[in-house]
Amino acid sequence: MPRFHFHIQENGRLIPDEEGQDFADGAAVRREAVATGASIARDAFMNGSACCVIVDVCEEDSPFLKVSITLDIEEPTRS
Amino acid sequence: MSSEVFTAALVRRLRTSDSISDDDIEVIRALPVTLRSYEAERVIVRDGQRATECCLIVEGFCARSKTLSDGRRQILSIHIPGEIPDLMSLFLHVMDHDLSTLTPCRLCFIRHEVMQQLHRRRPNIAEIFWRHTLIDAAMFREWIVNVGQRPAPARLAHVMVELRERLRVIGRVEGNNFEMPLTQEEIGEALGITSVHANRVIRQLREDGIVELHRGRVTVLDEPRFLELADFDDRYLHQSPAL
Repeated sequence: MPRFHFHIQENGRLIPDEEGQDFADGAAVRREAVATGASIARDAFMNGSACCVIVDVCEEDSPFLKVSITLDIEEPTRS
Repeated sequence: MSSEVFTAALVRRLRTSDSISDDDIEVIRALPVTLRSYEAERVIVRDGQRATECCLIVEGFCARSKTLSDGRRQILSIHIPGEIPDLMSLFLHVMDHDLSTLTPCRLCFIRHEVMQQLHRRRPNIAEIFWRHTLIDAAMFREWIVNVGQRPAPARLAHVMVELRERLRVIGRVEGNNFEMPLTQEEIGEALGITSVHANRVIRQLREDGIVELHRGRVTVLDEPRFLELADFDDRYLHQSPAL
């Protein structure tokens, strides 16, 4: 079973995952990546520490999938 | 081994956090019990199962949890020696959650009829168990606030501080460190985050020089920042009988 590494970027600052984890299948990796991105983004967006979170998953050394979550707020100009 | 050893942590807790007489302690020490050993991560009593006995933790750590139909698990509470995590089964006979071991455990089982006789014979002990049940509920309220409102690093810090204050009562805190034998996955299940996110939070707290979790042991690196992050007020633990 190959190991999956979840490298996380917040506003471009990379936090590499050297350890990695085993997963039963690709669907489980995808679920973990989406849930991880969503919960990290929730904290980062709420406390204003970042507006872009990327979960970059590698299977051993090759790219497996990438989840990007961006906070985009549009406010119309008020006169 | 004598029952004095089985009940040592419970007695220590009763003497520190509750008003209990020496007579009542002797009665507790004389209770007929069955000692069983469990390996780590084994179910003691399962959701839906009819319970006929209560379990006092002699040694090791346990957790209560609920598992959703898709297999995801939420850890609801962590339990340490001297606690009876399934005390409610005395009145609510069919379990509505799982109780399992986190680490290898020695558990002391007390039959329900023995507990019922104890309650009738010793109203003071019944009142203390009432109090423990209410504190248990207070801890669940705090757990809901924690998981529902705090950001993940504060959530982890809060669970750590609470565990430390409970371990302190039974004399299990050594200087700036104490045991918290949860895997990364279990920490995720306790905090309602993924295991990958839990790993990141643990790393962040270490890199920020606040607290380190390594091989099931917590070392506090910066006590004031640790407490500030946890936003911890110990009132809900009601650890002093005088209050």
